[in-house]
Amino acid sequence: MKRVGVFVCECGTNIGSVVDAPKVAETALNMPGVAFATSYKYMCSDPGQDLIIKAAEDHNLEQVVVASCSPRMHENTFRKAMSAAGLNPYQFEMVNIREHVSWVHSDKDEATQKAIDLVRMAVAKVVRNKPLQVSYIPVTKKALVIGGGIAGMQAALDIAETGHQVILVEREPTIGGKMAQLDKTFPTMDCSA
Amino acid sequence: MVAVAQHPNIKLYSYSEVVGLSGYIGNFTVTIKEKAKYVDYDKCTGCGLCETKCPSRVKSEFDLGLGERRAIYKAFPQAVPNKPVIDADNCRKLQSGKCGICEKLCPTKAINFEDQDRLVTEEVGAIVMATGYDLFEWEKAYGEYGYGKYPDVISGLHFERLVNASGPTGGKIQRPSDGKIPQAVAFIKCVGSRDDTKGKSYCSRACCMYTAKHAMQVVEKIPDGDAYVFYMDVRTAGKGYEEFYQRSVEQGAQYIRGRVSKIYPRGDRLVVKSEDTLMGKPIEVEVDMVVLATAMVPAAGSAEVAKLIGFSTDKDGFFQEAHPKLQPVETFTGGVYLAGSCQGPKDIPDTVAQASAAAVKVAALFSKDKLATEPMIAYVDETKCTGCEFCVPVCPYQAISMKPVKSRVHGQTVERQVAEVNKGLCQGCGACVAACRPCALNHNGFTSDQIVSEVDALCL
Repeated sequence: MKRVGVFVCECGTNIGSVVDAPKVAETALNMPGVAFATSYKYMCSDPGQDLIIKAAEDHNLEQVVVASCSPRMHENTFRKAMSAAGLNPYQFEMVNIREHVSWVHSDKDEATQKAIDLVRMAVAKVVRNKPLQVSYIPVTKKALVIGGGIAGMQAALDIAETGHQVILVEREPTIGGKMAQLDKTFPTMDCSA
Repeated sequence: MVAVAQHPNIKLYSYSEVVGLSGYIGNFTVTIKEKAKYVDYDKCTGCGLCETKCPSRVKSEFDLGLGERRAIYKAFPQAVPNKPVIDADNCRKLQSGKCGICEKLCPTKAINFEDQDRLVTEEVGAIVMATGYDLFEWEKAYGEYGYGKYPDVISGLHFERLVNASGPTGGKIQRPSDGKIPQAVAFIKCVGSRDDTKGKSYCSRACCMYTAKHAMQVVEKIPDGDAYVFYMDVRTAGKGYEEFYQRSVEQGAQYIRGRVSKIYPRGDRLVVKSEDTLMGKPIEVEVDMVVLATAMVPAAGSAEVAKLIGFSTDKDGFFQEAHPKLQPVETFTGGVYLAGSCQGPKDIPDTVAQASAAAVKVAALFSKDKLATEPMIAYVDETKCTGCEFCVPVCPYQAISMKPVKSRVHGQTVERQVAEVNKGLCQGCGACVAACRPCALNHNGFTSDQIVSEVDALCL
């Protein structure tokens, strides 16, 4: 059986005021594969991440589930914590009990039950996660700038100054765009062209 | 502008358009169409002799029709590159075969009437979109301002050409109808901006400031000239902006808070009818010229470019940034960045700042020799793939192609086609996995087995 750690975040009162985080953690301990479960005020904080790293060592964890906010917000944060704990960053699942639970429900018992269900699903999923490895692709160090107005000219010059080749494509016979048509410009009244 | 042309690291394709793009972050292949210029730029010295004798005169686009140009022309004296092109539609030689004066005159034999459009391909690693804006076509929407039938009702950009020392009037403010110097000029702000019913719901951000500048130029350049500014609000959020606006008021610009309801002619002048909402009464002003601060809208053709590159636009057609606060220059397409008003209306300082930000993003990308790719993408089980190609059109990133594989069937070697996922192009959306009937496609981190186990955990 895999050894899974479950960490339930309270996000201050964002989650904690609606979801009973300690109860979610307590219930998670009985889920198949879970070796450790706890709740904490802010999982994304330094001490919160240290909690993952320390528990991974103390309890010999292989996989981790964090129940907190949207993965768009902190998935990367926790993947980095996984790496710091010496685990594969893809042996990790995130459960969104903030946007999907505490921010959209008011009944505490039902919200807590929903959070437990979501954590149970994530635990069932994470034990089937495979350790994935990133692969690498080459980079052609030449840029294309489409449009030769002030934005395109400035971007092209700045990239060129870093020592890289730039291709600037302008639809009209001349660069300059709208800027070249202007007279003096606010607020300094210097000439535009 | 000259700095751009002279920079050893910049290759300029003027009079050219991007017509094709394939690839992904770090590895794009772009096709550029160089339109026929009919002038050999290797030979042309930019002396300008050809322009002086060309018999075709047409309205200058650069001067917005306020001035004229020839069929062989440079848009303006400081044009970069400082060499002319021939506008084929108006060239007598190219249209009727008779003329060719420029060819006879050219001391370096640079004119080439046989010139054709050319396609070139370039390999690039990053793309900066800087396609800019156009002005809202108020003539189609504002009947109360005359639908464009009064020649002395002009846009702010027309006014720029009138006050510009290298413009068609040499910097003299003259009204287009009869060339008279206007004694009174009315400025109307928010024409097309902040107007849900006729124009756009957004604020175009630069107009309050350039209108303040225009009003200041009227009172400075025209002795005893009057500038009336009709406004809804004065928005001057920027360093030194409020002070600039106050200066225009101190110098004599008269600000009237109210929307103009009608413009109509009286003699050779124009009557501007409005309400002064601070006084709470209707107001009528007789002026010689009206300047409209028209909304900024995405440049013509930007929707086609967006489609070509493969990224999304917002409700108004501006290019969509990946995040309004945290990723203002990134797009949802890796390696494609935004600069300037193609992303939304903005003034010059903001444009320059955003362009530099986009350049830094490109430089950061180029600081790496190779890029790590997200492993949570689709993969193919070749033993299950039947080669139906159902997944190929479903993929929004053109990441799936077919490849031949050999396998042993009943003791014989047969070749068949199977799907292959490009790791650089795949964004891990999962569309192909859902479409795959033999379940040959799967998604790292979201395998069918994992999804089923989640459902089981919830329901059983």
